Amino acid sequence: MARSCPGSTGVSSAREEILDWAGRGRIAPGRIRAALAAGGVLPTPDQWRRFLDRFLLYAGAVLIGAGVIFFFAYNWQELGRLARFALAEIPLVVVLVFLWRWGVDRPAGQALLLGASLLVGALLALIGQTYQTGADVYELFAAWAVAILPWVWVARFPALWIFWLVLVNVALAQYFQAGAFRWGLTLTVTKALWLHFGLNTAALILWEVVAASTPGGRRERWAVRLLAAASCALVTALAVLAVAGRGEMSLGAVVVWLAWLGAAYFAYRVRTKDLFVLAAGVLAVIAFVVGWITRHIQFDGGMFLLVGALIVALAAAGGWWLRELGREDES
Amino acid sequence: MNAAKRVALWERLRQEGLVEGELPARGEVSSPWFVRLMLGFAGWLGAVFLVAFVATAAVPLVKKEAGLLVLGAGACAVAAVLFRRRAGQVWLGQFGFAIGLAGQGLLAWGFVRLSQASVLQATTYLALQQAALFLLLPNTLHRIWAAGSGAVLAMVSLAYAGGLPFAPVLVTAAFVWTQFREVERADRSERIRAAGYGLAFATAVAALAAGATGGRWFFGSGGLPPPWGGDPGRWAGIVASGLVLPGVTVLLLRRAGLAPASGPGRFCVVLAALVAAASLKAPGLAPAAVILVIGFAHGNRVLAGFGLAVLLAYLSHYYYSLQVTLLVKSGLLLALGLGLLGLRLVLPRWWPAPEREPDA
Repeated sequence: MARSCPGSTGVSSAREEILDWAGRGRIAPGRIRAALAAGGVLPTPDQWRRFLDRFLLYAGAVLIGAGVIFFFAYNWQELGRLARFALAEIPLVVVLVFLWRWGVDRPAGQALLLGASLLVGALLALIGQTYQTGADVYELFAAWAVAILPWVWVARFPALWIFWLVLVNVALAQYFQAGAFRWGLTLTVTKALWLHFGLNTAALILWEVVAASTPGGRRERWAVRLLAAASCALVTALAVLAVAGRGEMSLGAVVVWLAWLGAAYFAYRVRTKDLFVLAAGVLAVIAFVVGWITRHIQFDGGMFLLVGALIVALAAAGGWWLRELGREDES
Repeated sequence: MNAAKRVALWERLRQEGLVEGELPARGEVSSPWFVRLMLGFAGWLGAVFLVAFVATAAVPLVKKEAGLLVLGAGACAVAAVLFRRRAGQVWLGQFGFAIGLAGQGLLAWGFVRLSQASVLQATTYLALQQAALFLLLPNTLHRIWAAGSGAVLAMVSLAYAGGLPFAPVLVTAAFVWTQFREVERADRSERIRAAGYGLAFATAVAALAAGATGGRWFFGSGGLPPPWGGDPGRWAGIVASGLVLPGVTVLLLRRAGLAPASGPGRFCVVLAALVAAASLKAPGLAPAAVILVIGFAHGNRVLAGFGLAVLLAYLSHYYYSLQVTLLVKSGLLLALGLGLLGLRLVLPRWWPAPEREPDA
């Protein structure tokens, strides 16, 4: 039986079990909170302290980085060029000094790197604004991604990796937006979707390979699920565009979509088990079927009812399948 | 949770004297949140096609407003029957959800056409309709939808009556109330839990829509009447919305048996006050923070994660807010960020860490 991923929530948690028992009268009404505490559901004072410690650290870093970016977006004309660069570079230097003292292995170091990565973007925006290089917007995001890549590599911090991937995706999107005038909108959308799909799927595969070979690498699943959801959404969009008759390489897109589903089933049902990715696959199938039907069927009253019932049936079948998979963990 | 963990949990509670007797048989347990989200989306999509079917197949009925109301009420009644009979059958529950959504759409359409209602009247009616359906249709997914949509409609209604500044504090307070009641009313916990998730969604909408922009981007620039009490009323609403967070903090401290004047208590109150003060100029911060804190306090990771997502979404939305300049926003974010890091520096003094845990 496939091993479930950590955090791949089975069908119930301790919280839900205890509330279910309380609902059935097995726990006295005045003792439910005590039962939740005894069951380890409610946070202890130590857990509260740790939560607040981490929250203050990461929220503080993000807010300072965002504040600096907002400041340069304000474009304060009264400042001279040197003053502006000093205001952009000094926080970055300060952050890097603290980072050098604390190292990247501690949460504080990782938060500092996250803040520093935001500050790099502010600095690059200032450079582009001050020197009027004529660069396109995508070049800013591409340069930002290249500049912070060594830090992202060293930090081994999932949130920073996701931030970096977002930058690369935005750079790609801006590149295609700039190219729309040359290629036409439809061609641009299809090309862009293919490249985004390739990028995010490659990132997903690489992440899983590295996680599998690293002790404890499969503990944090939120980033992988985000990548899998993005990859699924992109390939499904391509397949839907193909069957709706507005995409190039029509058969190819559908074949790739089917291959993605097959690979996801093997990876997240046979080898390991991650209900989140499988749920995304179920939604993709529903979206594809609806897309195909709306293009190839002449709609009248009866067809609306049929399609509506089909969607409900597919979702119900998918929901039942996912619940049964979740129940496997409970035996 | 597998069988072994269930047994271990029950045994732990039994040793604490909190339960007696044998471990209950496994009841019908809920699916993970993302499965419910997927089912909800598919149900909504199915409802769109069902409404289209009704609109095309029952044209003579649909042309009359009373016909729409009859069809809508009938659909909701069918949904109620399916929900009561589903007994663990996913497809019946899913079908009932789609029919229920279609019925609500038909009822709304019929009422609006019949009454030629103003926006205020229409949204008030719809909010009451959703409240009634919340009570009448026994399905968790549907109740979450009814609670969320009903609360949002009630906020819109309040906005068109001039009460927009008070919408965030009312919906946030309602959300907090459901979370504290969830463990006190075990017999109604499913209903209260569904209401809690729906109100969490409405709180997020309040944080984003009725926040720094004054709701203009949500309601349109010319559609709203002046707020009750004018500018003082607007500020009263913003202050009240911000005060929910310190209020929740004090309640949680009391529940944990900690005095607000103790070291940890003082720390938490100061932190909450700092965020509440920042929310005077960024009104969405406090409601979003409330969702995160309440979610963590009640061991509800879905809510806590949702609260974090709302905070990040608000930060992005704040950039485009037009009520204050980018300079003011920048200063606020920098001051708040430095304040949070400063508080982290005093954390070891007010709330010493256990021996094993060095501060990073």
